[in-house]
Amino acid sequence: MDAPLKELTKLEKLVSNSSAAKGKSPSISDSLESLLLSLKDAKQRIQAGADAGEVCAGLSRTVDNTKKDVDDRQKEIYNSLARFGKALDKRFTTPLPSYSPLFSSPESKAALERTIAQHFLRTGQFRTAEVFIEESGIDISPDMREHFAELHRIMSSLKENDIGPALEWTERNRQFLSSRSSPLEFHLHRSQYIRLLLSSDYNAALIYARANFKSFYGTHSSEILRLMNCLAYLPPSRLQGSPYADLTSPSLHTDLEPMFAKEYCASLGMSRQVPLRVIGDIGGGGALARIEKGRKVMRERKSEWSQSDELPIEIPLGPENRYHSIFACPVSKEQSTEQNPPMMMVCGHVVTRDSLQKLSKAGGNVKCPYCPQESLASNALRVYF
Amino acid sequence: MAGNKLNIEGVMLFEQPFTRVPYENYRKVFRTSQKQIEKELSAVQLSASDLLKKSQTAGSERKADDSVKAIDAMIARIETLKRKLSDLHDSTGHPTLTVLRERTQHLAAVEALQNEADPEFSRWADTRLDRWLVDWSLRTGREGTARQITQDRGIEKLVDIELFTEIRRIEEALKRRSCTEALAWCSENKAALRKIKNPLEFELRFQEFIELARALKQDDAIAYQKKYLLGWQDTHLPQITQASALLAVPPARAFGPYKWLYDPLRWTTLVESFRLSIYNLSTLPTEPLLHLGMYAGLASLKLPACYNHETKNADCPVCDPSLGHLATDVPFSHHVNSTIVCRLTGRIIDENNSPLAFPASGQIYSREALEDMAAKNDGIVTCPRSNERIPFEDLRKVYIS
Repeated sequence: MDAPLKELTKLEKLVSNSSAAKGKSPSISDSLESLLLSLKDAKQRIQAGADAGEVCAGLSRTVDNTKKDVDDRQKEIYNSLARFGKALDKRFTTPLPSYSPLFSSPESKAALERTIAQHFLRTGQFRTAEVFIEESGIDISPDMREHFAELHRIMSSLKENDIGPALEWTERNRQFLSSRSSPLEFHLHRSQYIRLLLSSDYNAALIYARANFKSFYGTHSSEILRLMNCLAYLPPSRLQGSPYADLTSPSLHTDLEPMFAKEYCASLGMSRQVPLRVIGDIGGGGALARIEKGRKVMRERKSEWSQSDELPIEIPLGPENRYHSIFACPVSKEQSTEQNPPMMMVCGHVVTRDSLQKLSKAGGNVKCPYCPQESLASNALRVYF
Repeated sequence: MAGNKLNIEGVMLFEQPFTRVPYENYRKVFRTSQKQIEKELSAVQLSASDLLKKSQTAGSERKADDSVKAIDAMIARIETLKRKLSDLHDSTGHPTLTVLRERTQHLAAVEALQNEADPEFSRWADTRLDRWLVDWSLRTGREGTARQITQDRGIEKLVDIELFTEIRRIEEALKRRSCTEALAWCSENKAALRKIKNPLEFELRFQEFIELARALKQDDAIAYQKKYLLGWQDTHLPQITQASALLAVPPARAFGPYKWLYDPLRWTTLVESFRLSIYNLSTLPTEPLLHLGMYAGLASLKLPACYNHETKNADCPVCDPSLGHLATDVPFSHHVNSTIVCRLTGRIIDENNSPLAFPASGQIYSREALEDMAAKNDGIVTCPRSNERIPFEDLRKVYIS
């Protein structure tokens, strides 16, 4: 965007009202101002008895010159605007693709409305959610609203360093959290303890530790030891230069918010990331451009691909966006399906069932294509990822 | 975890209309100023030469008085022009330039980022989703939602509420069967429409002509045709001929193509043509930006596994019931390489964290997760899906090539 920015700066200078604005021709307000002065001057001179013919001749010339100056300036502005437009055109060479209406069936429309309502609630935009639900006339269960309201109440307390509401929730959901081996509750206590330490209230910190760390000895003993040992390096200024410096990091407290949101959403069976953001980021981060490119190549080869089937190209995804295992058979390159599942041979190599059958010889023996071992096809094990 | 390199061209694909809309707005401001200047300055020029002529011919006594009067009128004109130009600059010119600057810089800011993991990018993407939701709300007639998002997120300069308010105003007029507003819009954007060879103005004029024919005002219709339709004969001769013939066919006796000309449904088509024209001019896509982003995003993620109860993953967006339904409208993703995700940790299994299988049930998990489980349970591992219980040593190594 460097080129458009440069052209925009020039344009802004040309049209700004300040008379300091430079251009080849004088600014329009300056030209008009000087014309006004000439007009007033001419009027005075005529009133003072000067020869009207002479004065008017001069005036007519001034008016013509002003018109020319103003036109020149307008032309300059026009050209500058056009250059800016060209710079934009150059930056955006590919227009957005046009698609036949997407998500237009009544069911899809309703699904999209639900998704968007949930998005507003989940991201804490409660007022927007209210307006949206009202305008769309949709039904969102009061339970869901209540859950998200609670989530955001707890999150804003966390933001203000109040772990009380969060702890109340973790205590209620202890079983769920331990089934996920989530350290959330311990981390909440740790944050509180460190805060007491750093505010130099050592006594309160110790009392807090004694009261709250006990139940975590089984799972977090080494961390608790560190939390206790770091006392030897106080005050905080000294702690920062010690092997325990990591305990003074603000992330110890700021990480609690995302961690809490993740566990809370998991307890409701919802994803750890905001789903609409994930989809938007993938779609708006190169996927659409790649799909369009693939489509163009297909068009040039005159082989259309059916829209609803499968993309013609692979869209690269980051590890955080890999949610399912994909097994592509190394022999046939096809993705495994229920009908053609992955099979592990005795040697441990995996191919799909179709490939296994193609590889097997008369006696039912299969020679693994990846190692020297031969085994019975019937000994291969159906595996699940 | 290091994020991926940011695909700037992929991001920018969506942003052409973002600067185009205020750019077109500023061109409109410029045209308005040009018209005002032309009008007032030409008038002053005319009176100046007029004054010169008179001062050289008429008698001496009266002419000083007349000249002073004429000059006063010229002063008034110039002062009006000055005021009008400065009003225009303050009320629309300057604000539009501010929007242009803010948006250009908003795009420059994302260009400067390298990595998707940059927290700066995360904030930018938050705003992008807000912008898409505003665009979607405006296109689907939810102005309240659009305004609320804009206000809460403070993104007034980054969204085009006015554009859509104007679209709605003109469309409502068309629905009331009035072409006036749409024609005014056409004349405001005459040059740009001509450049993209947009025939909206002809369609509107043709409709007004049809209405005159419907009202049986033959004379008015003929005058109207001469004035407004004949200019289009290079490109629209068949329609113009048809228009003439229409005068011979009153609505009550209309048949075939004439019946369609009198059909009130044409007004609905006009609304659609108008919308298409204004989108075209602003390089806005016909589909909401949100739809395009979702189409590509859902298609990138969609797998048969998302629709199988056994393999659903609560963290996967497509496995969400509503989004999963929307994904039925898009193609499946395409993969040529295997990626195995551990069902226990959610992490990708690779060489450093090799897969191990339970020998009877064939369930596969990452070594990392199973070692962890064995360490906590005296070397015994239990499959959470099949409940198979065996010593860690009995797990089988799996090779995924």
